[in-house]
Amino acid sequence: MLPPGPMSRFLDQAKAVVGAENVIHEPEDLLVFEYDGSVDRGLPGAVVFPISVEEVSQIMALAYAESLRVVGRGAGTGLSGGAISSPGGVQIAFTRMHNILDVDTENRTATVEPGVINLDLDTYAHRFGLRYAPDPSSQKACSLGGNIAENAGGPHCLAYGTTTNHVLGMEVVLEDGAVVNLGSLARETVGYDLRGVFTGSEGTFGIATKIAVRLLPVPEAVRTFLGIFLDVETACTAVSAVIEHGIVPAALEMIDALTIQAVQKVNDAGYPDDAGAVLLIELEGLQDEVDEIGEEVEAALWETGASQVRTAEAAAEREQLWVGRKGALGALGSIAPNYFLVDGVVPRTQLAPVLGRVADVSRKYNIPIANVFHAGDGNLHPCLLFDERQPGALDKIVEAGTEVLQICVDAGGTLTGEHGVGLEKKEQMPMVFSKDDMAAMVLVRDAFAPDNSLNPGKIFPDGKKHTPHAHPPAHGMPA
Amino acid sequence: MESSLGEQLATLLGESAVLPGDGYEVDGLTPQAVVRPVDRLQLAEVLRWSSSEGVGILPRGGGTRTWLGNVPRKADVVLDMGAFDRVLDYQPADMTATVEAGVNLASLQEHLAPGGEFVPLEAAQASRSTVGGILSVGTGGPLSYAYGLPREWLIGIGVMSPKGVSTKAGGKVVKNVTGYDLNKLYTGSLGTLGVIVEASFKLLPNNPNSGMLLASFPSLAASISAGRKLLHSPAAPMGCHSVTSGISRRLQDSVQAASQDLGLGEEETALSFAFYSGRAQATKRRMDEAAALLLAEGANAVQRIDDSAADGMLRWFTDAPAEISPSSVLAIKVSVQSKSAARTSAECGEILVSGEKPELMADPGFGSIRLFWPPSTEGPSDIEQPILDAVQQTRQIAGRYGGTAVVEHCPLPVKRQIDVWGDAPDSMAVMQGIKDRFDPNGILNPGRFLGGI
Repeated sequence: MLPPGPMSRFLDQAKAVVGAENVIHEPEDLLVFEYDGSVDRGLPGAVVFPISVEEVSQIMALAYAESLRVVGRGAGTGLSGGAISSPGGVQIAFTRMHNILDVDTENRTATVEPGVINLDLDTYAHRFGLRYAPDPSSQKACSLGGNIAENAGGPHCLAYGTTTNHVLGMEVVLEDGAVVNLGSLARETVGYDLRGVFTGSEGTFGIATKIAVRLLPVPEAVRTFLGIFLDVETACTAVSAVIEHGIVPAALEMIDALTIQAVQKVNDAGYPDDAGAVLLIELEGLQDEVDEIGEEVEAALWETGASQVRTAEAAAEREQLWVGRKGALGALGSIAPNYFLVDGVVPRTQLAPVLGRVADVSRKYNIPIANVFHAGDGNLHPCLLFDERQPGALDKIVEAGTEVLQICVDAGGTLTGEHGVGLEKKEQMPMVFSKDDMAAMVLVRDAFAPDNSLNPGKIFPDGKKHTPHAHPPAHGMPA
Repeated sequence: MESSLGEQLATLLGESAVLPGDGYEVDGLTPQAVVRPVDRLQLAEVLRWSSSEGVGILPRGGGTRTWLGNVPRKADVVLDMGAFDRVLDYQPADMTATVEAGVNLASLQEHLAPGGEFVPLEAAQASRSTVGGILSVGTGGPLSYAYGLPREWLIGIGVMSPKGVSTKAGGKVVKNVTGYDLNKLYTGSLGTLGVIVEASFKLLPNNPNSGMLLASFPSLAASISAGRKLLHSPAAPMGCHSVTSGISRRLQDSVQAASQDLGLGEEETALSFAFYSGRAQATKRRMDEAAALLLAEGANAVQRIDDSAADGMLRWFTDAPAEISPSSVLAIKVSVQSKSAARTSAECGEILVSGEKPELMADPGFGSIRLFWPPSTEGPSDIEQPILDAVQQTRQIAGRYGGTAVVEHCPLPVKRQIDVWGDAPDSMAVMQGIKDRFDPNGILNPGRFLGGI
């Protein structure tokens, strides 16, 4: 039994709203909700599983009345600590709000609940010859609600833009339980673009309970090219060559030598032992476009020094070319038990020099760094490999990760391309933004959530040193 | 005696930075002065002064769309951003560019052309429309179906706050979720939150080939219906439009050669436009298939126009709404779900103002429909109520199809009685909260935006 207080009063009333079976508050049950895909942890005081906007609204009004902090949770696949609860706060999980409410083929839009899995929407849309374009690597698990909170990206965002370019409107619940609609199913609305600024606000403005997105037609033809290069620098020249031809592929992805080794250990993707980089390029469009541009891409790969070029057009064969890239993060487990993914972005032309400096960091800290990245839009994903059971390992990782981010910023880039600032990078925000810049951002949050009770302590530096290692792991062996 | 605002500004920035306000009327209000700061320091000074004195500031780019918005509550000083006209950075290989807000769209495109790229913004009078103005208005053009709105292309922004504080959001990289996306907030905010000073865009490679199809149909309904089918076929164009005969006749003057054999004499004839660009082979295939589809859908005739003639037609189309609006007694832009474009057009097309139906330009792919009611012979006071009624009816129809109706042109006495943007949405309190925090003294474009913001 909890002592009388805000949480105990909240729990009594929350159970009346959603049913006792949809509220979790025993510490042992809460453990699984204390972390997401990142290295951070925070034990919530309660997790609530509502099923409707009315329930979400009531739950949030109750939490607000008790001055409890609230965070929404989709699948917990973000890698920046976005879904981590404030200790003792209320987590609203959307696993029960997982319905695709409408696919409108005439309007080419879909309306979904926030718990709908990204890939499920895309798969369903394919029945009608349509697709949902943003495809985060975690698309088999991540939810649309989480995608909105983080403005999620993915390989195919090179040609189609990120989540924000595909969200039309949403119904959101504000911190006091008020329900408002942002945007609409029409492409143009009046007033400030609140759905635009809400997207990527990392759960600090409100919680989306219904989401309307654009769907695009499935292209007539798709062709995938896989080029094998001796090293990352050479592969980067191939990227430039393709862009110089006036080509914006649907996707342009790269993995480096260490990642290739990991992939080959786990699942033979057919890469040669001496491969230093694998470049994946995907073209989409009319058959005529794919044929014409495809010839130029293939020529560019050979001319820039590819040792092998493979192409595929049939779905199953294309899938085979993607195996290595899609399984890359998982395969890193064969090298080290943990990875810390840095999400920095740089201008495309800076890719090669920045990767060189990242390699310097790897040597300096003696940390293996595997690179899996969206080369087309300059979004790096250096993965710092480590074992969290080694004393001091996390400290060293956070320090090296910060150095990598500084390299990205120095090259004209930024901290995060698709994973969000969250807890992980809030203290690095001053690398990119001045106090005044951040103050303007906070003004918007104040307009949405004057009490700052939604996902507080994220995004902006608060001087509290970020110490992920302070929390014991919820799983794994003792050190 | 108190000095005039012009004198105060001259003291602040020097005589050369200040002009009289004559010729800069906005909705019948003549500003006391026009001020043209040459750098951020001067801009900050003007804004700090305005905030402390409560002076109403109307930021201005090329002045091509000052008619948009409600009648200002006050129009003390026009802030001319014309001196901020430098391209700051252009990296063809990065496909990004950073420019100052006063750069006009035509010169920006010229700057990018040698790099084989362009910025997918669309605006009437491109040689006058500035980047800052285009972002503030936030709307697109004839190719919105393909390119969306300016919001899709803006990746970073530098803004001067009403208190003279320089801030930025986003950056120079094409993918960025660092901090809140204030790019979206400023775009389309009609200059009510801050003065845009610079902007970074992601760019696209130039398309090597362009072309268009022009088809005549026995009715607007048939034209829109065919356009919808075309948009949902593999031969989909970059933009597809349907216009009524009155619009076609205006076009005829511009492109006589093209419109000779399209049967434009018929009263009910409507024209469909489909714009294409891309690789040669694919463009040819799309246009071949599209021409066949349009004929199968009942087109009287289909004409193919290539390259520079097609580009000229696209320019005409981009400029047309702003040219037709002032000669209309009422001009409204309706935005609805794209699937409702046909019904919305049909219903709005029946709304009469002093016995006259509107001319229409419909974009059935993007879901926007422009309505232009021709000038009336009735006296100014007799026409007021019919115009108010037409606005009301249009809004009801737009609302039924999930959309909005923005009054882009109407007589000033009518404008004073309405909110040109329409009814406030349920998120109005949040919008007002943002405005109150960004511009607590209410100096930027006071009253011009939705809900009196």
